[in-house]
Amino acid sequence: MTCPGLRARFDDYVAGRLSDIEARALEAHLEGCAECEAFLESQAWPIDAVRSLPRAVAPREDLWPAIGSRLSPRESAHRRRVAVPRWALAAAAVLLVAVSSGVTAVLIRRSAVPSVVQPSGSLEAQYAAASEELTAALEKARARLAPETFASIQRSLGIIDAALDESRRALARDPVNEGLQLLVAAAWRQKVDLLRRATGLGAES
Amino acid sequence: MRRRLASLLLLLAATPLAAQQKINRRIAIDPDASIRINSMAGLIKVVGWDFDSIAVTGSVPAGAQFFMGGRGRVAKMGVERKDETLAEPGSTLEVRVPRRARLWIKAGTAAIEVSGLYGELDCSSVSGPIRVEGSLKLLVAESMEGDLKAFGPMDVVRLKGGAGSVTLRGPRGDVQAFTVGGTIVATDAAVVRAHLETVSGTIAYDGTVDRSGTLEVITHSGDITLRLPPEIAAEFDLSSFDGDIVAAISGKGEKGGKGGEVQKPVRGKPVSFMTSGGGANVKVRSFKGEIRILKR
Repeated sequence: MTCPGLRARFDDYVAGRLSDIEARALEAHLEGCAECEAFLESQAWPIDAVRSLPRAVAPREDLWPAIGSRLSPRESAHRRRVAVPRWALAAAAVLLVAVSSGVTAVLIRRSAVPSVVQPSGSLEAQYAAASEELTAALEKARARLAPETFASIQRSLGIIDAALDESRRALARDPVNEGLQLLVAAAWRQKVDLLRRATGLGAES
Repeated sequence: MRRRLASLLLLLAATPLAAQQKINRRIAIDPDASIRINSMAGLIKVVGWDFDSIAVTGSVPAGAQFFMGGRGRVAKMGVERKDETLAEPGSTLEVRVPRRARLWIKAGTAAIEVSGLYGELDCSSVSGPIRVEGSLKLLVAESMEGDLKAFGPMDVVRLKGGAGSVTLRGPRGDVQAFTVGGTIVATDAAVVRAHLETVSGTIAYDGTVDRSGTLEVITHSGDITLRLPPEIAAEFDLSSFDGDIVAAISGKGEKGGKGGEVQKPVRGKPVSFMTSGGGANVKVRSFKGEIRILKR
C-alpha cells in the first residue's frame, strides 16, 4: 500500500470497513512508514489544542451584524437547500453565549456604579432573531426527530416562552430592576441554547 | 404433520435469537486514546479498566451491524442500522476502555452508563438517560429528555438537560447544570464554582462552597433550597421577585447589623448578609420560586 493509498483509506480503516487483507496491508505499511504513523497520530482529536485555547474570547462589537445578516431570511438557492449553515449556528451560539455571559456577569455582580445594565433592545432583538432562525431550522429538522422528542422539545420551549413572557412583562413595569433583567437574559439564553441543541439533533453521527 | 408443525414453531421461536448477533471484539490501544462510540438505541455501558486495550461484548439486533477499528491514539466503534429512526430493538454494548481514555459517545434513545474513568467524557443522548460515575477530569453530558446523573469528584462538569432531572452526588471543582423543567439536586457537594439553572424545575443543593468560590442558582418558578453549614464563610445575595425568602443561617447585614436568619418570610425585596467574615459568593435569583437557606 502506498502513502496516498493509506491516507485515502484511513477513515475506512478506523471505521472497520476494510477487509482483513486490506487492513493487514495498511498495518504493514504503517509499521515501516514513520510519515504515515505521524499522519495517523495527527488524526487524534485535537483535544490538547482545544484545551490550550483561552477559556473565553470577547466578541468584536461589530460581529453581530455580519452574523445577523447571514442569518436573516434571504431567499437564495443556498438558503433553500440548507436551513442554517452549521458554522453560522456555531458562531451565533458562541456569540450569544459570550454576550449573554457578559451581560449575566455584569448583572449578577453588585456594582458600585449606579448605572443600570438591562437587556438592551438591540440585545433582545439579537436573541429574538437567532431564536426565530433556529425555530425555522428546527421545523426543517423535524423529519429526523422522533415525534415524541419533537413534542418534548415543544413542551420545553413552551415552558421557556411562558417564563420569558412573565419576566418581560414584569420588567416592563419595573425596567430598572436588575434581578428581572438577569432573569429575562437567562430565559433568552435557555431558549436559544435549547433551540441550538434541538436543531443539531441527528445532524451528526 | 404435528411434528412438522412443532418443528416450524421451534424454528420461529429460535429466529430472534439466531438473528441477534453476539459481539466479542478486542483491540490494543494507547492508555489515553480518543475513542468514539455511536449507537442509537439500547444500552451503551462503558467501564474503565487497567489494560491498554478495548474489549467489547454485547449484542446487536438483526439488520444492524457492529463496527470497530483503530489503533494507537484513535479508535471508533458503533452500530449502524438501515433505519436509524427506529428506536427498537436496541443494541447492548459493554465496552471496556483504559481508565485515562478520552471518550465521545453519541446515542439516540440509548441509555449511557459510564464508570471507572479518569479522563474526559463528552456524551449525548437525544432522549436516553446518562449516568456517569468516577473521577473524571472533564464531563460534558446532554440529553433532551433523559435524566442526567454525575456521581463522584470530577474537576469540570457541564450538564445540559431538558425535561429530565439532573442529579449530582459529591460534586467538586467547577460545575454547571441546566434544565428546563427538570429538577437539579446536588448532594454532598463541595464545589469551587457552581452554576445551577432551571426554568420551572426545583433546585436543591446540600453541601458547602469553597471560601474563594461561587455558587449561583437561578430559577424562574422553581423553588430553591440550599442546605449549608452554619459556619460557612460566605456572602449571600438572595432575590426572588415574587417568591418568599427564608434563611435559617445568621450573619451580618450589609450595614454591619445582624442579618440573615430570616425567620419570617420576606417577599419582593432582596436579602443579603455575610457569615464568618465573608468568603464564597452565594447568589440566588428567582422570579417566583421560594428561596430557603437551611442549616446543614
